Amino acid sequence: MSDPLLELDDVYKSYGEEQVLSGVSFEMDAGDVDVVIGPSGSGKSTMLRCVNRLTEINGGDIYLDGDCITDADTDVNELRKQVGMVFQDFNLFAHLTALGNVTLGLRKVRGMDKATAQEQGYEHLEQVGLLDQADSYPAELSGGQKQRVGIARALAMDPKLLLFDEPTSALDPELVGEVVEVMRDLAAEGITMLVVSHEMGFARSAASDIIFLDDGQIVEHGPPEQLFQNPQAARTGEFLSRLETAHEEE
Amino acid sequence: MGTPESTTSGRTLRARAAGLTDQPLTLLTVGVFWTWLVVRWTNDFLLDGALIERNTSFFPVGPFEAAASTLGALAASLGPVGFPVRWLAGFFEFLAASIPYLPQLATGVWATILLTVLGIALGFLIAVPLSVARVYGGSATRLLALGYTELFRGTPLLAQLFVLYFATPLTTIIRELPAVGAGFIPAQAFWVAVIAFMLNSAAYQSEYIRSALNSVPEGQLTAARAIGLSKVDGIRHVVLPQGLRYAIPGWSNELVYLIKYSSLASFITVRELFERTDAIASETYRYTELFVLAGLLYLALVISASLVMEYVEDRVAIPGLGTTSR
Repeated sequence: MSDPLLELDDVYKSYGEEQVLSGVSFEMDAGDVDVVIGPSGSGKSTMLRCVNRLTEINGGDIYLDGDCITDADTDVNELRKQVGMVFQDFNLFAHLTALGNVTLGLRKVRGMDKATAQEQGYEHLEQVGLLDQADSYPAELSGGQKQRVGIARALAMDPKLLLFDEPTSALDPELVGEVVEVMRDLAAEGITMLVVSHEMGFARSAASDIIFLDDGQIVEHGPPEQLFQNPQAARTGEFLSRLETAHEEE
Repeated sequence: MGTPESTTSGRTLRARAAGLTDQPLTLLTVGVFWTWLVVRWTNDFLLDGALIERNTSFFPVGPFEAAASTLGALAASLGPVGFPVRWLAGFFEFLAASIPYLPQLATGVWATILLTVLGIALGFLIAVPLSVARVYGGSATRLLALGYTELFRGTPLLAQLFVLYFATPLTTIIRELPAVGAGFIPAQAFWVAVIAFMLNSAAYQSEYIRSALNSVPEGQLTAARAIGLSKVDGIRHVVLPQGLRYAIPGWSNELVYLIKYSSLASFITVRELFERTDAIASETYRYTELFVLAGLLYLALVISASLVMEYVEDRVAIPGLGTTSR
């Protein structure tokens, strides 16, 4: 049995007095798509940011492909080449075109020459269906297009793991579909994804596992059929039914 | 940051605010001004007075004097109602009186321009790291940068000039350098002034750039770090290209100030525009004409600088980013 691709082992994180993560542990294998759900303030985004060390943990260990990445001597830039991230509010580089956004990392981190980087950049834009917007600046793109560029930018680094931090929650409802579709394609291609999202359609159809996080702890962790139809913990059931109601109201 | 239109539809649909570049008369005046300057400098510095003798003006005084006296006579014959004609005669008198001094003033303008451009450009090279240190540095670096900025913004520029000129061995060192003071390369006092303006302007420029860097959203650097760029590379490739664009309007202000503050260099004997004007005026006692003329030349320089900055701003404009403030 090979190592899991990602392993969180008893991870703690606090901001001052406030405990955000209290002993979070889980594993995911290469090719898995894990969706993290939970009420706001439950530590979902913090957990994600710990994985590429945008946030430093206070206790426990995180392993990527068998290597402990929370050691003090880990090169964070090396780590981030292997772990891509897609942000809630896109964070596209505002001064660069869509192509420029995708190729910046290839050129300045991977050290590719401009032509090679652009060739790859076009491929990744095509992957998210935005080849025709290669020369558009972020301000000229719709929210859905921005997020697809954000995904292409993360993909371009050829990461072992892609982190999605609420990728659709800043989008108008009619733009969610195009982003979810791209994510579904990636899942089908076998890209390992850790997704914080309440997009239940995506969670049901694409997730290998659902992780329900509440109050900095994993309350329940299991395949979507089990978690959605037969939640073991009372809190999971409550949360899901609240989510259900919220969706019906929309 | 702009209006909703500018962030969603970009450059093409944004109604561009009218600027100096849209005014033909301004462009024409600035064009004539620069043609005169360049021909004058070429003749004086490069061709050794081949077109016309160094201190002789291109423009004859005669016709202006004639116009002035004709109009003066006309005004006198019109009596009390002739005052507008009297003013016109005065204008021609002013021109006739000013023309002989134009060549010397053109030499002063050369020094003023060189002083300003070198001061602001070299200052910029210091200002960028200084502002980055202020925004992204550790506590020690921040304090150091803050100390520098406060020292040079908080003491008079004139005092800085005096300290560098009189209290440091800079003058002696620069004097020994080859080519200093030969042809169109100015003498040592000029270079001391350049150093002073560089140090002083760096402090002011860094403040403009610092506030511009602060207006770049934090997520930009986070995203840069997330693709594996180091902090320094993230600042260099992501934050600065945006921040410097935001800084353009404020920075242009500093350029305009420096053009005029460069006149302080006259106190340490730099032969720039103000010093030349003052020197000629004290010889000829034509203070009014000369200082009006100097004022007009400074104005022409300032308008030229604004035109250049408008052009730069347009050239580097990116849809949704930055400077619609004009």
